[in-house]
Amino acid sequence: MEWTAVSAARKALVTGASAGLGRAFAERLAAGGHAVTGIDRDAAGADVPFDHLLCDLADPGAVDALIAELAARGPFDRVILNAGISATGRFETIPPEAHARLLAVNTEAPMVLTAGLAAAGALGRGGRLIFVSSLSHFTGYPGAASYGASKDALAAYARSIRKPFEKAFGVSVSVACPGPLRTDHAARHAPEGTDAKKRMPPDEAARRILADAERGRAMITPGSGAAMFALLGRLAPGPVTSAMKRIIYDKLDRSVF
Amino acid sequence: MTGARRRIVITGGTSGIGLELVRRLSGRHDILVAGRREDADALPVLPDGVRYVHAPLTDPEAATQAIAEAILKAGWVKLDNLVLNAGTGFAVDGGIETAGQIRDTLAVNLTASALLARALFPWLDKAGGTLTFVGSVAYKGQGLFPAYAASKAGLHGLARALRAEWAGRVAVQVVHPGPTRTEMHQKAGHDPGRLRTIFIPAYSMAAMLEGVIAARRSPVTLSFGRYWTGGAAWSGRL
Ligand SMILES: NC(=O)c1ccc[n+]([C@@H]2O[C@H](COP(=O)([O-])OP(=O)(O)OC[C@H]3O[C@@H](n4cnc5c(N)ncnc54)[C@H](OP(=O)(O)O)[C@@H]3O)[C@@H](O)[C@H]2O)c1
Repeated sequence: MEWTAVSAARKALVTGASAGLGRAFAERLAAGGHAVTGIDRDAAGADVPFDHLLCDLADPGAVDALIAELAARGPFDRVILNAGISATGRFETIPPEAHARLLAVNTEAPMVLTAGLAAAGALGRGGRLIFVSSLSHFTGYPGAASYGASKDALAAYARSIRKPFEKAFGVSVSVACPGPLRTDHAARHAPEGTDAKKRMPPDEAARRILADAERGRAMITPGSGAAMFALLGRLAPGPVTSAMKRIIYDKLDRSVF
Repeated sequence: MTGARRRIVITGGTSGIGLELVRRLSGRHDILVAGRREDADALPVLPDGVRYVHAPLTDPEAATQAIAEAILKAGWVKLDNLVLNAGTGFAVDGGIETAGQIRDTLAVNLTASALLARALFPWLDKAGGTLTFVGSVAYKGQGLFPAYAASKAGLHGLARALRAEWAGRVAVQVVHPGPTRTEMHQKAGHDPGRLRTIFIPAYSMAAMLEGVIAARRSPVTLSFGRYWTGGAAWSGRL
């Protein structure tokens, strides 16, 4: 009896599930009746309502092994490629290994995972595939140049596969570009003295993103602040990037990677 | 400065747009080409006097080191132009690439570009030089080669950020060519068929690229609009 219950349950996959936005996605999906597999480098703690696999997404061998394991657990109806790391500071002061590691985790791993799951038939028909990019996609990100690049690449990947994946699997692909969130990640990388209260709680961002993905939206900017910023960035990428430089880059007091 | 002899590093200068650019610039400027071919396969295609370093970008760290060493060996203390032109991609069905194809595309087009920009910044900074990322109009998304499109979008974002970060020191630009008649499509496993005949000739694209490099603007799309209005003739020289 339990067997049928488990296999009939809808399955979800969330990368970067141990904390922040990923944790919020995993908990929401679990509360909604999904059997959730979370992936992270860090343990999530014993009390989480989902299954947790450990994987260093910067390690290509580990990602390949993970795909094999996931193919056996699938197919997944909800896949959220959320894991991401950052590197803030003047571009030339950040070590090359940190830039390379960031591009591996934020761009290469989600793309390889997605293509691997698709090739293995592990994407459930009619499902949703969500890539978490960043609001910086609409401007430039001085002070986090490789992070901005990694998220732009991911957004373009999502746009590229949207039509083919709809056709082949009936899967709807979305990009989410959240603005600043109230997470430990943001606190670690924000300049000194910025106000955490202005950032959106991760659970609210997760709720809005999931709701928009259900509606099949290609581009999701959760919240009116994010939507307004995206519009400004589209209209005037140059001036908005200069403003970002004044707000972030000129206030950088340290490099964090 | 127009007229002065410049020191220029060009990646992927052994064929296509890169080779045409090398041909245009080699008499007037000092050129170091970086490529994936062994010396014996690269030197014969390059004009006399052009320096060459074997640096396959599938290994971004090793290639960056090889290119930095070649600059030191040439005795260059400044660099006027770095043109990150090498590129690779794989055409696939249904938007599904293999892990190897994704990793190679990102390594060559994006990660190597980021690491080279970082490593050669001190040389460019000394000359008040220009860093050029060669993107593609595919950066907005393209189902035929998703990882390629992603890598070019990454370059777009990297250029925007670095242009702001290095303002007043090094000019950073991203240039997005439209369809150009080179062997790239064939290398990617894609046959554009009769469409290929309307693609922009590589030497015309190189002429337009040279003009944009001299103008230091960003971002710039180099496609049919500019070509059909005679862009190859009216674009400036470096
Ligand atoms: N052709 C187009 O329609 C088009 C459109 C938009 C953008 N672009 C971009 O323009 C640039 C030049 O392309 P192209 O059309 O001139 O193509 P191409 O003729 O194939 O030239 C690409 C160059 O990159 C080199 N290269 C490839 N993989 C490499 C690696 N792993 N390490 C080092 N060098 C490597 C190639 O070496 P080999 O000579 O040994 O092959 C070649 O010199 C690329 O960045 C491309 O993405 C082209």
